[in-house]
Amino acid sequence: MKVIEVKKLSKKFRVKLKEKGLKGSLKSIIKPKYKEIKAVKDVSFEVEKGEMVAFIGPNGAGKSTTIKMMTGILYPDNGSIKVLDIDPKKDRKKLAYQIGTVFGQKEQLWTHLTPYDNFKFFGAIYDIPDIKVEKKIDELKTLFELDEFINTPVRNLSLGQRIRCEIVASLIHEPKILFLDEPTIGLDPVVKENIRTLIKRMNKEYKTTIFLTSHDVGDIEKLCKRVIIINNGQVVLDDTMENLKYHYLNKKIIDAKMKEMVNLDDEDGITILKDKGYNIKIEVDTNKKSVSDALKLLNPDNIIDINISNVPLEDIISDIYIKDDKQ
Amino acid sequence: MRKYLYIFKTEIMSNLQYIFNILVGFIGFFIVLFIFLNLWNYMYDDPSQLINGYTKNQMIWYVIITEILWMTLEGRTYCKKICNDVRSGNIAYNINKPYNYILYSLSNHLGSVSIKFIVYIILGMIMGYIFMGSFPNLNILSILAILITGILATVISILLITFIGLCSFIIEDANPFYWLYSKFILILGTVFPIEYFPKTIQPILTFSPVYVVSYGPAKLFVDFNINNFISIIIAQIIYIIIGYFICSLMYKKGVRKLNVNGG
Repeated sequence: MKVIEVKKLSKKFRVKLKEKGLKGSLKSIIKPKYKEIKAVKDVSFEVEKGEMVAFIGPNGAGKSTTIKMMTGILYPDNGSIKVLDIDPKKDRKKLAYQIGTVFGQKEQLWTHLTPYDNFKFFGAIYDIPDIKVEKKIDELKTLFELDEFINTPVRNLSLGQRIRCEIVASLIHEPKILFLDEPTIGLDPVVKENIRTLIKRMNKEYKTTIFLTSHDVGDIEKLCKRVIIINNGQVVLDDTMENLKYHYLNKKIIDAKMKEMVNLDDEDGITILKDKGYNIKIEVDTNKKSVSDALKLLNPDNIIDINISNVPLEDIISDIYIKDDKQ
Repeated sequence: MRKYLYIFKTEIMSNLQYIFNILVGFIGFFIVLFIFLNLWNYMYDDPSQLINGYTKNQMIWYVIITEILWMTLEGRTYCKKICNDVRSGNIAYNINKPYNYILYSLSNHLGSVSIKFIVYIILGMIMGYIFMGSFPNLNILSILAILITGILATVISILLITFIGLCSFIIEDANPFYWLYSKFILILGTVFPIEYFPKTIQPILTFSPVYVVSYGPAKLFVDFNINNFISIIIAQIIYIIIGYFICSLMYKKGVRKLNVNGG
């Protein structure tokens, strides 16, 4: 069952231009000039119920604009959006009852109140009866391990604790889709991991569809089975994480410590990343050269220690961004 | 309606953290009143003298009431907040919540000023009594009626300031408009009653916001009259309907052209 259907979505912004200096400032008052920026161009995709989708792209790619159109914050210029069969443009309020949003860089909690009071507030905002809110708070308190600080004012919580509360606040009304915009930004690795585990648990428990944007590859890799990459306002890749790795992980990194110095030159399928005589790091394109052929070049008898690894997902994604920029 | 009451209640809970700040802020209120007390003492030869229909005590009580209404409003901060929300795009984060933004802002700001309102009324009454030794001749019903007009005056002020703030959708910065509005209310209604102005201007002032946001409740406090009360209440209700309508219109027009920078 499809819960999100986006077809040929476009959005442009008008940005005021100003020439430099005082003269430019005066000119912009008398005769303002505007530049049109196409933030989103013909974006189409669909999301199934219960899916966890990563929607990623470099800064200014158009991902936040797309999310804001999907949640009814911005009006699209062209194209259509259906979220749970609701058109966000026409029925924003109805949609608000069905979706939850967490913006990592924007707190929605009242900082002087405790998480408990905040959750009660959100319950009232979403017209949920008090008894049901209490039950939901109890349930989410356990799931997100909030017991320790549920009665501490939000301003005294750590960032990790606050993000957990932000997520819980957006789940009080049992949304069918949760939009997470960089939920782990600024968190340390341990807390990040904890948040990811909790999001996974929530997805499993409530079958909530998750639509995630993040610059953190760990979030994407550990949470999502599908990734949509957007760049310059267009979808450049929409595939499963498995396929992304399968198609793009044709490169291996060989990091070796040698007994004797080796003289290796770049050749077809091999790129030397680092050569410090006894320590050498090469990248092997397995479509052109096998790993064993690469090892033969190094002479296995000469190797003291070796590490063969995949190219980090972060590099793969950056590569996709760069390739798209060059096209 | 329940959600707006909850927003109001939540804001009160949040503001209880600032009770000490409110008490400290009262020092400013005390200084303003002290200046006016001396000013009117200088203007009036004796307490029974009438200037434009007001005795000295009435004039001081008038200023106490209008100053309570004005100083508890925190209009500048509120207008600045709305302007910044519009300009920075922060208003977007309210759009995807299931409430009416105008009613949300209204109940939110009412919640944030209500504690100050109560504290200033109590302290203002004590101060007035210490300075003048008596209260105007009022009964429980007239006090209730004045309180209602005072609350409605605050509601109208919030709606008008919301409208000014929402003008940021059209112009870069609406704060200068608030500055003009505040000076208009301060000079033409807070410091002097309408009767102090030339007869030709008085009808204009009666139809202006001055009548409903400051003059009306203060006039009732110093000289309660049921006919005045009815006309003030009617004018206030009309202003609330118009205020809500223009705010909603501006908001609806504004969000359609909202530009929110992405992340």
